[in-house]
Amino acid sequence: MKIMTCPVNGPRAISEFAYGGEIRPMPDPATCSDDAWADYVFNRNGSPGVKREWWCHTPSNTWFVAERDTARDVIVRTYLYAGDN
Amino acid sequence: MSEIVFENVSRTPRAGVKGPGAAAWLTSLGVPVPDLPNSWLPLPGGLVARLGLTEFLVEGPEAAKLAAPPVHGVYPVLRQDTALVLKGARLNDLLLETCSVDFRALDRAARPVVLTSMAGVGVTAIPGDDAGVPCIRLWCDGTYGEWLLETLAGVAADLTQSSQSHHQGATS
Repeated sequence: MKIMTCPVNGPRAISEFAYGGEIRPMPDPATCSDDAWADYVFNRNGSPGVKREWWCHTPSNTWFVAERDTARDVIVRTYLYAGDN
Repeated sequence: MSEIVFENVSRTPRAGVKGPGAAAWLTSLGVPVPDLPNSWLPLPGGLVARLGLTEFLVEGPEAAKLAAPPVHGVYPVLRQDTALVLKGARLNDLLLETCSVDFRALDRAARPVVLTSMAGVGVTAIPGDDAGVPCIRLWCDGTYGEWLLETLAGVAADLTQSSQSHHQGATS
């Protein structure tokens, strides 16, 4: 069984979690180029490596950040989102 | 006779509240607040549970206090849960079959609240014991209640049947 650690609820089976996508800064649609906006909307980074991703512990609806190494299939760490700074 | 007894306590009054001001608001109403996330405190005829960091569930007569108008940073949470109490000597076998949390490993003295998935349904659970017999209090989304109850009762019946078969095999 694969285990992920929720920052609030602790280690749980991966079946209790839902993937929310990679964290990607959104460009300002009012000022960025069409190419930059299209890249943000349509393209995803599929290269293996450490990704910062949104995950949700579904029984408690706790959203948090997971750093996951997709090359080694290892969850590096998880933590609550602390803002954009 | 089933070795695990089910009681549907959904009609017990309950209310929920969440938000950054929820803890202070409950304190101002005279409702004690558990210090730690995912822990609970007993109330007269009920309990107050802290779900995560800033959400609270109050059950029992004290839930009426949450009818007071909320202040800034406090948001009511509609609680139309199905609430069950399961009790029996083989309760832990049922939990092992339907859930990935090992409830035996929890420190009951710390009054833990566990938010997990049971038979695929998100539940809030408080384990305990009643005169030495293991019991657990469960809340789940009311729309899943009947399915969860039937599923758990089915697993409990299988456990009872298997233990009776084992007992008959041992005595024949």
